Amino acid sequence: MKRYTDMEYLRLSKGRKLLYKIAAFFCAIPRALKNGALGIVRAIVNFFKSIGLEFADIFNTFVNGDWKTKLSYLFMGFGNIARGQILRGLLFLLFEGVFIFYMIFAGAKWLSMLPSLGKVGPHEVYNAVLDTHTTEYGDNSFKILLYGVLTLFFIVAFLYTWRVNVRQNKIAEQILKSGKPLKSGKDDLRALVDDNFHKTLLALPMTGILIFTVMPIVFMILVAFTNYSGSNDGYFNALFTWVGLENFNTVLSWNGSGGVYSATFGEVLTWTLIWAFFATFTNYFLGMFVAMMINKKGICLKKVWRTILVLTIAIPQFISLLYVSKMFDKNGIVNGLLMDLGLISQNIDFWGSTAHDALLPRVMVIIINIWIGIPYLMLIATGILLNIPADLYESAKIDGASGWKQFSKITLPYMLFITGPYLLTSFTGNMNNFNVIYLLTGGNPINNAASSAAGSVGYTDLLITWLFKITTTTGTKYYMASVIGILVFIVVAIISLVVYNVLPSIKNEEDFQ
Amino acid sequence: MASVKLTKVKKIYDNKVVAVHDFDLDIKDKEFVVFVGPSGCGKSTTLRMIAGLEEISEGTVEIDGVVVNDLQPKDRNIAMVFQNYALYPHMTVYDNIAFSLRLQKMPEDLIYEKVTKAAEILGITEYLMRKPRALSGGQRQRVAIGRAMVRESKVFLMDEPLSNLDAKLRNQMRAEIILLRQKLNTTFIYVTHDQTEAMTLADRIVIMKDGFIMQVGTPAECFDMPANLFVAEFIGAPKMNIIKCELLREGDKYYVNPFGTKIEVTGEKGRELASRNVRAGKILLGVRPEHITLTQQGGIPTRLEVNEMMGSELHLHVYTEDETRLIVRVPTIGLTNEQRKSMVYGSALNITFEGKVMHFFDPETEKNLLLD
Amino acid sequence: MKKQEMEAQAAIKQHMGLKASARISNTVIYVILVLMSIIWLIPFICIVLQSFRTESTWSVGYILPKQWGFQNYVDLWNSNFKRWYLNTFIIALIVAAIQTIIVLCMSYTLSRFRFKLRKSLMKFMLILGMFPGMLTMIILYRVLKDLGLTESHAVPGLVLVYVASSGMGYYVSKGFFDTIPKSLDEAARVDGATRAQVLYKIILPLAKPIVIYTILTAFMAPWGDFVFAKYVSFEDPVGMNVAVGLWKWLTPDMINQRYTMFCAGGVIVAVPVAVLFMCLQKYYVEGVTGGAVKG
Repeated sequence: MKRYTDMEYLRLSKGRKLLYKIAAFFCAIPRALKNGALGIVRAIVNFFKSIGLEFADIFNTFVNGDWKTKLSYLFMGFGNIARGQILRGLLFLLFEGVFIFYMIFAGAKWLSMLPSLGKVGPHEVYNAVLDTHTTEYGDNSFKILLYGVLTLFFIVAFLYTWRVNVRQNKIAEQILKSGKPLKSGKDDLRALVDDNFHKTLLALPMTGILIFTVMPIVFMILVAFTNYSGSNDGYFNALFTWVGLENFNTVLSWNGSGGVYSATFGEVLTWTLIWAFFATFTNYFLGMFVAMMINKKGICLKKVWRTILVLTIAIPQFISLLYVSKMFDKNGIVNGLLMDLGLISQNIDFWGSTAHDALLPRVMVIIINIWIGIPYLMLIATGILLNIPADLYESAKIDGASGWKQFSKITLPYMLFITGPYLLTSFTGNMNNFNVIYLLTGGNPINNAASSAAGSVGYTDLLITWLFKITTTTGTKYYMASVIGILVFIVVAIISLVVYNVLPSIKNEEDFQ
Repeated sequence: MASVKLTKVKKIYDNKVVAVHDFDLDIKDKEFVVFVGPSGCGKSTTLRMIAGLEEISEGTVEIDGVVVNDLQPKDRNIAMVFQNYALYPHMTVYDNIAFSLRLQKMPEDLIYEKVTKAAEILGITEYLMRKPRALSGGQRQRVAIGRAMVRESKVFLMDEPLSNLDAKLRNQMRAEIILLRQKLNTTFIYVTHDQTEAMTLADRIVIMKDGFIMQVGTPAECFDMPANLFVAEFIGAPKMNIIKCELLREGDKYYVNPFGTKIEVTGEKGRELASRNVRAGKILLGVRPEHITLTQQGGIPTRLEVNEMMGSELHLHVYTEDETRLIVRVPTIGLTNEQRKSMVYGSALNITFEGKVMHFFDPETEKNLLLD
Repeated sequence: MKKQEMEAQAAIKQHMGLKASARISNTVIYVILVLMSIIWLIPFICIVLQSFRTESTWSVGYILPKQWGFQNYVDLWNSNFKRWYLNTFIIALIVAAIQTIIVLCMSYTLSRFRFKLRKSLMKFMLILGMFPGMLTMIILYRVLKDLGLTESHAVPGLVLVYVASSGMGYYVSKGFFDTIPKSLDEAARVDGATRAQVLYKIILPLAKPIVIYTILTAFMAPWGDFVFAKYVSFEDPVGMNVAVGLWKWLTPDMINQRYTMFCAGGVIVAVPVAVLFMCLQKYYVEGVTGGAVKG
């Protein structure tokens, strides 16, 4: 693509300018992707570099350190205790003790079983006393995987703590050499509400995130490489085991038995993207429109209109969604009223039941989502509209701009710039909008062509509701759910990466401060 | 009531930008020191390092002989006034001023005494029960100063305290700060970008640019003997005229040749040049606008571009035949009405200046030739 | 006519024209707003009306009940609904308390401290947020089951699940904290406050709107949560929350007996939550708009 200089660009005709901008946007996408990928590579390289530096530092500290430091390599916290920082030293020592104890009595066992995920499954044993066969349970693959992951986490935590221990010895030596006193345990405790207050504040939230988000995600990523499912539940029915990339092959390859999966995945993904696009932008523009109507000069009862809309937010979503879904049911009120009014002779099946009706339910969910979503957008848009400096409009009026021009040249660009990040999160949020779809249609109408794929997927199913169905309906192919979850992550990540690199208003958080 | 000593203080931000380079300064007890320089020169960063709000990358800061690098701001015994006042919006003026005393667990009776006394000095007694948002800019500024005053700390730091006020109020507050200083009798460190504030308030000025100290000295020293071109242009308003020309030497006598004329360097400056045995050659000649005079005949022919009437004086922006812009400051008192009327765009003016008030700078290093 | 007069009249006409067009456009807007209000209110009006209907089957095709009565509310009192309501209320209360503390800790730290890993931490959480949260449900369910916190004992399990990852929702309140000038912290620290004192003496009083917003959203979320509640309670009659319980009443095999009770239940759930929300609406709006603007 030919790049114009600023001066050349100014001389282009209006149409050419637009074309140029569109072309520039699409040309920026590969570069954004490349930058993103490069960033990841660079991060990895830097990571290994810093690991190398750490090793060098650990080695140097050992060579140059005194005997207290050297002994701390074996007994964590020894140096601290020997130099009078009893509290820190004891904590280090305690942690090391707990770690060794755990590894000997549990960790080693789980780790050793991790590669196989258990050898002895449930089996029949002849019971001579009762003269029957009874089932005896063996290893528990689920527990092996779970505790294996936990043990790995623990080992990483230990290595990190050990590294901190080494560094503290080095720092303590330096401080003592320069003739200053070391911090006492009392100082340490005082620092927890002052200098190190952020550590105190972060301790609880980060523990929660680590245990209830990071750990499960790591676990579920690993599940994608196993055959964990309802029939291979790892204990009662049969063990599960590593299968490598097989599951990804099934979903992503077009031939063989996986064909149904890949076709279904493609279909559901397409609908998910279409849905997210419409759900985001219809709400966005209509919400803005409503906000502008309510805020227009000369409109009375502003508060009343706003309150009526906000009622939708105030009432728990499941009530309104479930109720509306029943209103539009084949036997629901809407059909009943239309019948009474003589507008229709046959009940309309808004939610569809066969493949031919796929379009109507899809349009319906988007429309009802507008009903749900406009109030939020109205609130947000109102907040931003009121913040647009009035002198912008005044100067536009003096320059002779009409109402429409004022909107397209001032209001809209301002809104788009400020809400750029919001649009992105709202788009990805809509991709994962479970409630609206599940409570309205439950994913129906059923897609018969895709019936051999797990989870009896329907035409309004998003990836997220499909995932939910897979984990709850018969067969419960957890490994498939996990693969789809990972693919959802990849799609969301790519979209975010591109948008982040293209949008101007996201790049720097400090710009807003 | 304390000395402050900075030794090789350096500030490096994580992205390897050096904001302050080896900053050395000895501030004596009860001295009023002003850091001045254009925005981004590192003056505020230095002040914040002294306050403990910014980490010190290298070097040491001592207050009263104690290294305070690792101390929290609250343990440094300092008080500070911020540019935007930083008044706690949810507290009344009284609570704002009392805040630090309450943190010290001082008995309420004593707090009352101190706060009311400070309020009296600053003339804000009637506003004590108001919230900051109900105050004007000048009143807020007084509250901020009051909050710093009651701490009775060793060092009083002020970060551009007057820059949010309008011109008139600024002059008034400046005078009040001078009075305050006499009452408090403590060490002051004051940051500003306004050279007038620096000149009027300071015992010593520290002029900074791009993280380097350009000159440290009393206001008079900085004005009379600027260490380099930057200081020469920064101190004094309107700013000094800089003329490219040559320094000529004939025996013990020195001459400069701006715009084809030849002016002898006389007085102190001439003797200095001779005693330092300065070589002849290209120089940058600095002449302050007030040292240029209009003359009827001879001198340098120029044309008038802009005539700024300042009341007691005129600022004449003129240009010479080779298009060099100069500023001339002429007292109105010496001009007849006719002369003043004739000074319009394009009118011819002849200017000249004396040989005893010139400054000489090396065109390469931009340093003053009369200083080391 | 004189030229001046004509000009003046033309100006008046133009003015009138402007006024008239403004009036027309305002009328159009009023019509749209009234229509919208009707559309937005109808479902809620219907639900209230039908909660008083005593004919039990659900598909009747009319809105106004033929026979009015409180039978549905009486039935509700005698059903498991009481239990679900209590469950949800307890969950909401505990979650609101703990989640608010966690979110405030997190957002204050990320807004005010500049520590080494801050940027990486925020990026890391951004990436974590891109994983569908539902994925973690499978393992959490198994673990909670092992701990005995599912089905009829689902309440503590659900509290744990809701609260545990709430640190990830720091965005909106961080945006608010960012708008409080940092010089206030600095002034307080020079005045002798520790970081902890800065937080509860200066920042929290100033952050009242966002604290209320956080409490409100944290309190409201469990009333509407469906996925985790369904999964963890496993549709056990004692362990469910209102969302799952009422959802069950609308499944095809129960809808005919339970539809009007669902409406009554919906009213009982919605009224207190909506009243609370409407009272604190101001803070909610502040939080939502602030959050969107800050990104």
